[in-house]
Amino acid sequence: MPLIDLPGFAGDLLADFERRNTLRVDTPVIQPAEPFLDMAGEDLRRRIFMTESETGESLCLRPEFTIPVCLRHIETATGTPQRYAYLGEVFRQRRDGSSEFYQAGIEDLGDPDTAAADARVVGDALFVLSNRLPGERLKVTLGDQSVFEAVIAACGLPGGWQKRLIHAFGDQKQLDRLLAELADPKSPGVFGHDVERVAALGMLDDEERLVAHIGETMEATGYSTNASRSPRDIARRLKEKVELAATRLDKEALAVMRAFLALDLPLADAPAALHSFAGKARLRIDDALELFDARVAALALAGADPGPMRYRAAFGRPLDYYTGLVFEIHVEGTPAVLAGGGRFDRLLTLLGAREHIPAVGFSLWLDRIEQAAGREK
Amino acid sequence: MTVTIALPSKGRMKDESSAIFERAGMRITAVGNDRSYRGRVEGVEDVEITFLSASEIAREIGSGAVDFGVTGEDLVREGLADADARVEFAARLGFGHADVVVAVPEIWYDVDTMADLGDVAADFRARHGRRLAIATKYWRLTQQFFSGSHGIQLYRIVESLGATEGAPASGSADIIVDITSTGSTLKANHLKILSDGVILRSEACLVRARKAEHGGNPLIDRILAAVRSAL
Repeated sequence: MPLIDLPGFAGDLLADFERRNTLRVDTPVIQPAEPFLDMAGEDLRRRIFMTESETGESLCLRPEFTIPVCLRHIETATGTPQRYAYLGEVFRQRRDGSSEFYQAGIEDLGDPDTAAADARVVGDALFVLSNRLPGERLKVTLGDQSVFEAVIAACGLPGGWQKRLIHAFGDQKQLDRLLAELADPKSPGVFGHDVERVAALGMLDDEERLVAHIGETMEATGYSTNASRSPRDIARRLKEKVELAATRLDKEALAVMRAFLALDLPLADAPAALHSFAGKARLRIDDALELFDARVAALALAGADPGPMRYRAAFGRPLDYYTGLVFEIHVEGTPAVLAGGGRFDRLLTLLGAREHIPAVGFSLWLDRIEQAAGREK
Repeated sequence: MTVTIALPSKGRMKDESSAIFERAGMRITAVGNDRSYRGRVEGVEDVEITFLSASEIAREIGSGAVDFGVTGEDLVREGLADADARVEFAARLGFGHADVVVAVPEIWYDVDTMADLGDVAADFRARHGRRLAIATKYWRLTQQFFSGSHGIQLYRIVESLGATEGAPASGSADIIVDITSTGSTLKANHLKILSDGVILRSEACLVRARKAEHGGNPLIDRILAAVRSAL
């Protein structure tokens, strides 16, 4: 290891990764910036270190490993399943701490057995963390994007509202705001003059006429009907918006959603609690729960100590590529997240993989682990 | 200490700023010939005038290279992170009005608010295989408004240095963030401003660099008082 500021435990950590049957990969520090901005959004631009190649390509210093590891997997056309491990420096401006720091982690790609892969990755994270911090009580918080989505769908909200709520998952403030608005809609939506006109012409209830009208208007005004949103996209969402404006969540459904989001209990008790919740609220979320149960069973099978694990229904991570399991690990009683991860089944396709590759992984904040280990001594 | 004031070097902005300084009793004359980029104030020692382009003025105030500048608020807020900590908008001068706005194609019947746009942005990629693209030269203002004020993260900025209003029709972007004074250019391009889509109501301002040595300097106070009295 040529780098002298590596945490002292880096060698042991890599040995642990190897023991967990992973392939160590390295990725270039200088990466194309596009995939990061595309996945995380334009806001990331302020926090990453960008430059340009001689030919004008946007480049950045690696702000994290998941995207580079996945890109490398796609480029080298490696078969799946494949388990990768990484350890290296990442570059990102943070509110606290240095803007260059070490991360390590595992990406577990292509195992079709979702529950087993989820359990394995949580087990990996707990294994390597407890080896670094033998004297500490670790606490795992688990959430599940797909259970949340299933509950939202089963509550019978219009599609537009489902999307808003799903988009807000993991952002407690935004979620509270949306629920409050659903309970007591203040603005019934803003509609322009054009909408009043098409409504007066009776087109709002006739999708085909509305689509034709929008298409003709676009052509007449020099807009392409396929470069951006199509006439049908606009017509459908207009309908959705009309429904959105008219939706008021009845008290019972709101209470169901709040009761769900308030669930916070030991993971071992979560399957029973979720089934009882769904039964009482008469929600059909069997598929999502089946996967949830299977994961809890797989965790037990993998021998992970269920003691430190809690399920919190409202727990999500605010990145729109997570699709199922999300989790974080802390030392009990301290706020610093030492490990964070989850399932991202869509990411590889979004990055250009030809076939669907399910994926789950986590990363470790080595500087925080070092601090926690220091406290331990 | 010499106080440096940066003024616009050409066009209406130059004429209007000269007129205000003249009303303030600070007539500005060019040093050397009329087209010189340096000037002085008649009868006031220790004031230097430097004529620069409006966007350079924003940068020079930000770095503290000049003490005062006259330029558009939009350029200062776009050019500087933490603008209010680094400069003081000392006086709004009543000309150069322009709003920085979010505009979408008129035909987007379903989009009239930022909340609508947030909904469209959230599943844009699922439908179109790419993020919602915004053409603008206002990177910073766009990011602050979309992410900071409206929680919208999922979009991409396409840099546009001119004729931004043509981008949606030409297909190089979906929507725009641009300045408008009368709205007629937007209208001609079949774009509409969102009902809560005004990011900034900008106009020409007298802007002061926040420098420690300005404290207790009578010349600074005198310039401020004179310009304010002329409005």
